[in-house]
Amino acid sequence: MNIQGKAKEQMTYDAIVVGSGISGGWAAKELCEKGLKVLMLERGRDIKHVTGYETAGKNPWDFPHRGKVDNMAREEYWANVRTGYTANEEHRHHFENDKKNPYLEKRGFDWIRGYHVGGRSLMWGRQSYRWNERDFTANLEDGHGIDWPIRYKDLAPWYSYVETFIGVSGYKEGLDVLPDGNFQPGMEMNCVEKEIRNSVQKKFNGRHVTIGRTAHLTAPTQIQTELGRASCQYQNACMRGCQFGAYFSTQSATLPAANKTGNLTLMADKIVYEVIFDDEKGKAVGVKTIDQNTKEQMDFFSKIIFLNASAINSAWILMQSKSKTHANGLGNESDQLGRNIMDHHLSVGASGTFEGMEDMYYYGRRANGVYIPRFTNWGSDKKRDFVRGFGYQGGASREGWGRGNYKEGFGADFKESITTPGPWTFGIGGFGETLPDENNRFTLSDKKDSWGLPIVEFDAAWGENALKMRIDMMNEAAEMLEAAGLKNINAYNNLTPNPGIGIHEMGTARMGRDKKTSVLNANNQVWGAPNVFVTDGAAMVSASCVNPSLTYMALTARAADFAVKELKKMNL
Amino acid sequence: MNRRDAMQRVAFLMGGALSAPTMIAMLEGCTSNTATEATTSSFSFSPDYKNLVSEIAEIIIPKTSTPGAKDAGVGPFIEVMLKDCYMPAQQEHFKKGLDALEEASKKENGKKFLESTPEQQTALLKKFEQMANDEVRENSQPKKIVDNETGLIKDPKDPNPKKGEEAKQVAPPVPFFKLMKELTLLGYFTSEVGAKNALAYVAIPGRYDGCVKMTPGQKVWAL
Repeated sequence: MNIQGKAKEQMTYDAIVVGSGISGGWAAKELCEKGLKVLMLERGRDIKHVTGYETAGKNPWDFPHRGKVDNMAREEYWANVRTGYTANEEHRHHFENDKKNPYLEKRGFDWIRGYHVGGRSLMWGRQSYRWNERDFTANLEDGHGIDWPIRYKDLAPWYSYVETFIGVSGYKEGLDVLPDGNFQPGMEMNCVEKEIRNSVQKKFNGRHVTIGRTAHLTAPTQIQTELGRASCQYQNACMRGCQFGAYFSTQSATLPAANKTGNLTLMADKIVYEVIFDDEKGKAVGVKTIDQNTKEQMDFFSKIIFLNASAINSAWILMQSKSKTHANGLGNESDQLGRNIMDHHLSVGASGTFEGMEDMYYYGRRANGVYIPRFTNWGSDKKRDFVRGFGYQGGASREGWGRGNYKEGFGADFKESITTPGPWTFGIGGFGETLPDENNRFTLSDKKDSWGLPIVEFDAAWGENALKMRIDMMNEAAEMLEAAGLKNINAYNNLTPNPGIGIHEMGTARMGRDKKTSVLNANNQVWGAPNVFVTDGAAMVSASCVNPSLTYMALTARAADFAVKELKKMNL
Repeated sequence: MNRRDAMQRVAFLMGGALSAPTMIAMLEGCTSNTATEATTSSFSFSPDYKNLVSEIAEIIIPKTSTPGAKDAGVGPFIEVMLKDCYMPAQQEHFKKGLDALEEASKKENGKKFLESTPEQQTALLKKFEQMANDEVRENSQPKKIVDNETGLIKDPKDPNPKKGEEAKQVAPPVPFFKLMKELTLLGYFTSEVGAKNALAYVAIPGRYDGCVKMTPGQKVWAL
């Protein structure tokens, strides 16, 4: 489409943000608040805060299949069913129909997407941890991947900035391995979790059990209240969308903040597939889009562009952005684009039953658990046969009526026996760091989707280091549970899930110090296209073992600040 | 993946927050077969079997001081679930279970199941529960596979089936009584009358207290 004069003016903004998820929402908010006219483009449909949450507030009996996956959904959500929960009836509509949006697998990859306004910020796990100092030097220390171009101190003020706005609840523990942040009061542990915290910390030097640090409000600040957000009501139905705006999402927080400025234009249904690069100017001038419903093609123009389309899709856009200057895809002189896919490996840990506390229970459904920070290859930890480490997430609860499925009998007494609180069970599951590996990658296949755009083809696998780590993840979990006095311990190491299962895709357009080995510089600018920024999971140079979203948000706020300063200096 | 694994996996992805019943409700039942067949089915029970299924559900979860399975509409729920969430092989297996129950009733008691005395019904269902347990045990036994070329017996657990191949092996159907019971519990405890009367149901708790002394007669949380 060739637009001239006034028409082009109408399509022109100061900044374009591609994607409206966790990092896109942050980019839009920051750039709008700094006075830029921002266009946020989202490839999926619009979902309005509260009124757009179709299943929020529904009771179990309001679902014809009581939440379960029916045969039709099992076929349409073929990748989602692998997670065991994302295809379920109550929140399936917030995940992507895999049949409509297919991808290919040379080696298995579980790609779980959310194409709609808010992206995966609507369904994320909300666990929010700062990286530690050594997470940023790990690659340099052990030689895997390339060195991060920034350090913890570069991001620390931005972590604080982000935490203050989104609201993270947690306990301050004073640990180097898991730096404290600006927290709202942490949620309470239940009786059994408190017991286990005490015994683990007493019996294992250097191990800690804390409450999950989660982006739920427990003591809203004025800023949060003014955005219409309230305290967590402990429904534990977060993935359906929260009527109280209690957990952080684009809809509950960054979008209303950006809208307040009057500087935001949000367009849904626009699939961005290419950044338009001007070889003469040596920078990007806009983006190409196709409407997901009408297939109408439109170009939009701006001074700066933030790609926040998710790790895979931001890299997918860069790959399709070919020009004379960037013949191999935008910023891809290094051929690193689409490589080094990282995730967290999980489905390994232990569970058991806790004897005692039979007269104790809890009230409310806490959408959070306990967290055991990394202890391997840290401090005085013994020598391991793998590098890096893992953390555990878990929790205690009392068994409910479901135990009737494994208990013999039926009738009145049976009914009575399963309606009282059952034994306490406690379990922890590991989240392990994966290493950057060039051979873990995706490429554009020759096949096209229904918009004529290239389909992603994955070729990735868990590495040898992760497989070794998993043995210790399982054994250490069982040992801690045993030391804490649990019985009937079941340790497991399930290798069925593919990379992607953590839904923490990272690394496909990594930051670095050199354009020969990376796609982005220390300020998230694309090498050779300084007015294009990538601040989602694609930018990550290593993976840490903690949940990554908080770091994406901090990187985005930092890059937005830099971008506006550069823009004012006329450097972009 | 065994049930516990699945539960743990879900629990930790979601922050370890789900109560055991929620996790089981999410993972059991609709996960018995993989979707390789047509996804739409015209499955239904005959009027006799509609009635029979409702009555068996009521025997499993009878009306006591709290409503029973019939009050919760468990019979029609089971029919919907079998139709929408299960593959034809499982549907057939379930129907055959009902056939077998009627046959056994005639053979042992000389009358149809619903015409038998409550004692006879209970005794027969106990027998069917045993049969279901045996069937589960049988299904979990590793099957001997004889290699066509060498004639050697292969251990199916050992030679590391390549990724994806495990998924292709068709899971045996869930035994009739086991599925009958699972769907009855699910249908009852997630129904309005079941959740609100037999369990403790609070739609919006509003707060979280981690350590609460149980009150006499404390019911388990519905969610």
